[in-house]
Amino acid sequence: MNPHPDLTSGVLHGLGWYYLILFVMNLLWTVRSFKVDGEFKKSTPILGGMPVATVWAVLTSILLMLSAAHFTGGSSPEKFMIRLPEWFKNPVDAYFANPVIYFAGSVGLYWAMIRFREWWVQDTVAYTMLQLSLIFMGLSLSDYDFRQIVGKPDNVPIVAMLFIVSFLTWIYFKRAVDNDNRIAQGRPLFEQENNEKVLVWPDLVYIELICMVVLTAVLVFWGIALEAPLEEPASSVKTPNPSKAPWYFLGLQEMLVYFDPWLAGVVLPGIILGGLIAVPYIDFNKGGNGYYSFKERSFAISTFLFGFFPLWIALIVLGTFLRGPNWNFYGIYELWDVHKVVAANNVNLSEFFWNSPLFSWMYGGLPKGDSFMGSPTLTLLLRESPGILLTLGYFALLPPLLGLTVLRKYFVKMGILRFLVFSNLALWMAVLPIKMLLRWAFSLKYIVGIPEWFFNI
Amino acid sequence: MSDQKPSSDDILSKIRGAAKPAGDKPAAAEESSAAAAPKGTSDILASIKGGAAKPKAAAPAGTADIMASIKGGAAAKPAAPAGTAGILDSIKGGGAAKPAGTASILDSIKGGGAAKPAAASVAPKAAAKAAVDPSKASGMSAADMIKAARTSVGGSVEATAAPKKVALPSKPLVQPAAAAKAADTRRSFLSDALTAVCSPLFVAWGSLITATAASSLAMARFMMPNVLVEPPTKFKIGPPTDYGASTVSTKWKAQFGVWIVNDEIDGQQMIYALSTVCTHLGCTPNWLEGEQKFKCPCHGSGFYKSGVNFEGPAPRPLERHGIRLAEDGTLEVDKSVKFQKELGQWDNAACFVPV
Repeated sequence: MNPHPDLTSGVLHGLGWYYLILFVMNLLWTVRSFKVDGEFKKSTPILGGMPVATVWAVLTSILLMLSAAHFTGGSSPEKFMIRLPEWFKNPVDAYFANPVIYFAGSVGLYWAMIRFREWWVQDTVAYTMLQLSLIFMGLSLSDYDFRQIVGKPDNVPIVAMLFIVSFLTWIYFKRAVDNDNRIAQGRPLFEQENNEKVLVWPDLVYIELICMVVLTAVLVFWGIALEAPLEEPASSVKTPNPSKAPWYFLGLQEMLVYFDPWLAGVVLPGIILGGLIAVPYIDFNKGGNGYYSFKERSFAISTFLFGFFPLWIALIVLGTFLRGPNWNFYGIYELWDVHKVVAANNVNLSEFFWNSPLFSWMYGGLPKGDSFMGSPTLTLLLRESPGILLTLGYFALLPPLLGLTVLRKYFVKMGILRFLVFSNLALWMAVLPIKMLLRWAFSLKYIVGIPEWFFNI
Repeated sequence: MSDQKPSSDDILSKIRGAAKPAGDKPAAAEESSAAAAPKGTSDILASIKGGAAKPKAAAPAGTADIMASIKGGAAAKPAAPAGTAGILDSIKGGGAAKPAGTASILDSIKGGGAAKPAAASVAPKAAAKAAVDPSKASGMSAADMIKAARTSVGGSVEATAAPKKVALPSKPLVQPAAAAKAADTRRSFLSDALTAVCSPLFVAWGSLITATAASSLAMARFMMPNVLVEPPTKFKIGPPTDYGASTVSTKWKAQFGVWIVNDEIDGQQMIYALSTVCTHLGCTPNWLEGEQKFKCPCHGSGFYKSGVNFEGPAPRPLERHGIRLAEDGTLEVDKSVKFQKELGQWDNAACFVPV
């Protein structure tokens, strides 16, 4: 018998409950849709003239049938038909196990989120996306490897986080799009028209009390239902494989893959904190103060969301679900095979440079020992000079160049000092994706690599 | 100050200057009276009244003291006695020996302003005694005070012709009181000391300091444990024949944190001891026999059998420890020394044993 069956009677039973909840959810939504959405246009093929709620009613009945099938199919799980087909799993694995596609996809998603915000904030669209993701998850849970990762008690908060973050982002964009339209049409803001101000006592305190009780109940239930993931006693010679940081630090751990510890563990987090502290100094735009708006502060919000979604949330997801043994990439339906062979042979920039045909002909390869002017130090510096010049140019030349060209508008608005602070922080933020892409695309290890001095960039 | 008849402003400034320190020690009263600048009649009167009405604000004194200091201060200016002798002289000269009551003080103010301060300050207690009768003191209206002051200021105009010379007899003024107090302290030293030791402040600070000192000592002791359960830095790992050609032994990883590798490097078959600490962030990599590499589970650094890094973020090769063939024919590893390839230390004969 297969020790890792995709489906067991317990799993089927659980999925039965899962689909039953989805059924109730969609039943309510169908009622709402019947009241609110009206009918399809007469010209629509097939559905013309029928209430929009028909579609939801069909989905609801499918979910009820799915639930019933799962509840009754528990007796022989091996023969159960409703599971993800391999032709679906394999391409998805190939996608998720490829960091370049994954990262490019998360950046693309970020771009689409902003570009198509007016479309996806609509209730029906957002609800459809939620249902699709829930059904996708339900189907995926029928896979053994997916369940091992997603169902791990450690990772439950991350799954919850994905839905909570999506929900809060949706609320923001919905309100912001609404207000942007109001401003464009000259109508009063939502916050002015629907004054949501309440008294602290009793209204706010009352809500807070309820939240407190509910949260406590959830935590107690959580603590009872999901076992704390205790591991074997710590040993200095035995590191768990894979060895993962707490989930909220997985973004940092991912940075450590691309940078030296002093950079990824000290400098970059320090710059994140310093940059956040500097936000009130850099961003003196008073638009959007006290109300939701995207257009009035599009640059600030886009920049922040870029740092938050592709560079933080996406890295947490990557670290949680896609990093497996030996810190290799694994697809979400892929077995965590300790012996998966991944070519990760990394090369420093200096080796690329000096071993290139031109310089290897001119100089004869990597400068070694004290071959340059008889000094080991100068030889080191000569060896790493391409990287050092690149780094210096990146931080010293790019800000003025950007200020005079692409970001001229901001340079004029901000003044030189503020602009330099801003552009340096922005360049530091760009350092991470640049280095990641260089690593993935060219197997570049370090731009400046001086292990002799413990100095690598 | 001028030769003219003092204006009411001048007078009030005098009073004000004197009245202000009523909340202070009498000695200070005289000091500030010289520097005081008039603000306004109402201010001054208010301060007089305030000073008189709030005797509790006064440090040592009651209404009587305040009155005394006002009176004393008002006339104090001209006096410039340098020491006790001077004070006594001025007393003699002024003829205002021992003021016995408000009346006599007022008299002395009126009569010889120069002598007054000495009288008032040499024995402030006496002055206080003299003015002890509160009904008398508080019965004196502001108008009376101004009147008295006017007289004394008028009388002292000549004496204050050179205001800059007006030195302030602060030290001598304090001395008598201090001497009296010293006598007190000598007598009650033991009981005073006992009170101080038992005060909450002393107890609190004392216990804090004691506790801190004790815990520091305990911490210092902790640094020198009786038994040290660290593995020895030098240990025998058996004869070289235990380690077959082209193998990596993980036998000593758990106990000592070294891999013993028998490998061919630059055409030379040798045994060396690699440290099991990843050069990226210090995790412990695993030896993967199938892939013939060391692989770190934390950030994916990979090392060849030789210890040289080739994948992942590790910036430099694994470190070698010292190894030698001991006299008894077994290998001995010395973990107290390390050899780094990037510093060219792997050429050192102390970090490998040719086989």
